[in-house]
Amino acid sequence: MAAISPTMLDVVDIDNTIETPGRRSELVTRNSSYAEITDSVCYAAESPHPPLAWYVAFAISTSLTMMLGLMVTYLLFTGIGVWGNNSPVFWAWDIVNFVFWVGIGHAGTLISAILFLFRQNWRTSINRAAEAMTIFAVVCAGMFPTIHVGRIWVIYYLIPYGPNQHAIWPQFRSPLLWDVFAVSTYATVSLLFWYMGMIPDLATFRDRATTRWKYNLYGLLSLGWTGSARHWHRYERAYLLLAALATPLVLSVHTVVSFDFATSQIPGWHTTIFPPYFVAGAIFGGFGMVVTLLVPARALFGLEHLITLRHMENMNKVILATGTIVGYAYAMEFFIAWYGGNPYEQFAFTNRMFGPYAWAYWTMIACNVISPQVFWFKKCRTSPLVMWIVSIFVNIGMWFERFVIVVISLSRDYLPSSWGYYSPTWVDILTLIGSFGLFTTLFLLFCRFLPIVAMAEVKGVVHQHNHAVGHHEHDAAH
Amino acid sequence: MSHALTPEHSTTGSHAQAGSWKEHQTLGALAGKIWLPALITGVAGLVVAAGAAAVTGGLRQFLFAYLTAFMYVLSFTLGSMLFVLVQHLTRAGWGVVIRRMQELIASAVLPLSVLFLPILVAVLMGNGEVYPWNNPAFVADHPLVQAKASYLNSGWFTVRAVAYFAIWIVITRFLLRNSLKQDQTPDPSITIKLEERSGPLIFLFALSCTFAAIDWMMSLAPEWYSTIFGVYYFAGSMVGSFALLNLLIILLQKPAGLLSPISVEHRHDTGKLMFGFTCFWAYIGFSQYMLIWYANIPEETLWFQARQNGGWEYVSLVLIFGHFFIPALLLLRRQFKRSKVQLAFVSVWLLVMHYVDLYWLIYPQFAPSPVFGLVEIGALVGLVGLFVAALVKAAGQHSLLPLNDPRLDESLKFHNI
Repeated sequence: MAAISPTMLDVVDIDNTIETPGRRSELVTRNSSYAEITDSVCYAAESPHPPLAWYVAFAISTSLTMMLGLMVTYLLFTGIGVWGNNSPVFWAWDIVNFVFWVGIGHAGTLISAILFLFRQNWRTSINRAAEAMTIFAVVCAGMFPTIHVGRIWVIYYLIPYGPNQHAIWPQFRSPLLWDVFAVSTYATVSLLFWYMGMIPDLATFRDRATTRWKYNLYGLLSLGWTGSARHWHRYERAYLLLAALATPLVLSVHTVVSFDFATSQIPGWHTTIFPPYFVAGAIFGGFGMVVTLLVPARALFGLEHLITLRHMENMNKVILATGTIVGYAYAMEFFIAWYGGNPYEQFAFTNRMFGPYAWAYWTMIACNVISPQVFWFKKCRTSPLVMWIVSIFVNIGMWFERFVIVVISLSRDYLPSSWGYYSPTWVDILTLIGSFGLFTTLFLLFCRFLPIVAMAEVKGVVHQHNHAVGHHEHDAAH
Repeated sequence: MSHALTPEHSTTGSHAQAGSWKEHQTLGALAGKIWLPALITGVAGLVVAAGAAAVTGGLRQFLFAYLTAFMYVLSFTLGSMLFVLVQHLTRAGWGVVIRRMQELIASAVLPLSVLFLPILVAVLMGNGEVYPWNNPAFVADHPLVQAKASYLNSGWFTVRAVAYFAIWIVITRFLLRNSLKQDQTPDPSITIKLEERSGPLIFLFALSCTFAAIDWMMSLAPEWYSTIFGVYYFAGSMVGSFALLNLLIILLQKPAGLLSPISVEHRHDTGKLMFGFTCFWAYIGFSQYMLIWYANIPEETLWFQARQNGGWEYVSLVLIFGHFFIPALLLLRRQFKRSKVQLAFVSVWLLVMHYVDLYWLIYPQFAPSPVFGLVEIGALVGLVGLFVAALVKAAGQHSLLPLNDPRLDESLKFHNI
């Protein structure tokens, strides 16, 4: 399935998942030189045609995106009634999808900001793709509440720019408004971080451009980067500052999203562990999606020596850790529901487990808590097939987690006479599928037109490693 | 960031003669000089506390003061234990030189398990003055507490306490024993074993730490509940343990000339971690308060109501500013992490604030207004004294730095970029 790339010929992979204490394993295998790294990353964008699988995937995902367009148009022209949202479940798949997508984005920010501050050099091979994924996930996320407001033509009322125009202020006490600020800040900083980090690599694309329009386009995007010492100095300062600024954002966005639920008094929504639990869940889901995307992408574009099994294994460890944290939060919620002695809270939890939506609850538990446990075994952590399957389970599980929280709690609250059972309509289902189409389309375009691996950063890590183990052949380049 | 070599940096850079520092890294005669005075101070503190309590608040006050001081010293061992496990799990290289200190702090949990006996015995003897769920008259009046009697009862409380200490003792023994073994033989398989087991051990640690916090502190207000409570105690413990670590390193470096391989670069990092956990503590504390305040459900707000009235509101404000805004703003500055004097200042500050935090968690269940006198000071001095004595005993004549860790070299060479 792999396309032939220049770096794949007659080189044997080193198993860099083994680490002898005292000697750091290579982060990039096949003893890649700087030129090889540049060649293999640029190959995805410079080859005259992308692999056939790319065309197939692109055809499918753009079709789904067009379907999404149709669904949104239908919704806007007809009304929210085309969805299944109805009393008592006024928040349903739209909010489930919003929280799902915004959570996916967290892996990118965690990798680019927190792992950077923790000096986790392995992040350099995956940060670019994860950051791109973050942006695309936030695009999908932002769409759902936007179209859910119903009268989308007055959505700008959310912006608090003065009552003289609207004769009304937004409700500052509502966490939904805080979401507007949290998500838009997050989108802005993530986009800046992603773009700024890409500037040196865009300049490489510019320098290697073979056509005039490519040269101009990449030239425009690379902001006149020359690679001078001063440029690098500014760049690294800016990177460090953005990382420090983005770190609180990793926590703040999903914290505010959790406030949407936890500030209320709905049983199953109001619990104090929600903020850190949502953040851990978001990182879990985000890494799940990164693995889902990178397992095929690294094979398709011949990047297995840059995005190595060690990178994949590390991500699987993060999935195991965060999945277990999520399991801890489920257990703690459940324990305190009993311990607190509130009968409504207790009912909310037995209803989750044994009520009409028990299937959703147990799907969530199986996917989120049980399936990642296979990653205790190295064989599973390093098998692309196993990790891909588990990552799909994680995606499913995290979608169901939000479904469990949003729909089950709303469907049966304090008053049994107003209980109900929510069912999605075909519009709900096709809109969700369409959002995956939009996400995949954007990601495929990114793979084809932008540097999928942060070349400059990977080279820095290769240099450090060679330096540490005493190979100095690259020093001439400095 | 400039990385000009400080004089100190260049001395640690000269690890070519690594053998030279390795010989002088035990407490040596210092151990004898500290141990006995610490022990005497400890015992004297407890005697003063007991005597003062006999005059004022009686056994109830003594037990509250004792519990607060106990949770304080216990938190140092828990925070250190977790961080050693995390270092193994992540195959960390930079922190090898600080690891032994944390292993030693953590292993003080063994003597602390004995010091938990006063509380355990009081509970077993039916004392219901500290934990109201142990008081039949209180339980009879409170149906919510009756409903959880299957969890909150003296027998099951004891079994759990024994289990928590068993877990912590097993973890700390395992970490320290293997680490000391590596001092003798530079065997990388020891490191691999530590790395492999730290994952499941963190899992056990998380559960035991959470439920210990629930049992020993949350159940003081037996009707109140918060799912984040365990995380809150954990966050404070991390702040406290890093503050203690920084202070100990600086104290041992200056007059005793020990720990010379721990450079400004390592202290910079432990300072960053202290900063990070200070922010994490604030985040967890804010999450807990914000959600309870906003939802405004009486059964939850009653706990904060006790902390917002009768003078406790000032303690709450001291925490917000003293445990978060002031130290976080100071620690943002690079200088405050790198200068010994400034880092020691913030560490002492945070050690005080960490006690205030636990006092604020526990003491409003004792009295509607803050009480702080000889009983509390005596208990604090007593347990800190005994803790220091335990620490010195644990350190014994062991090296205060790992001598043969395969990643020692990486740690010695480490510098911030």
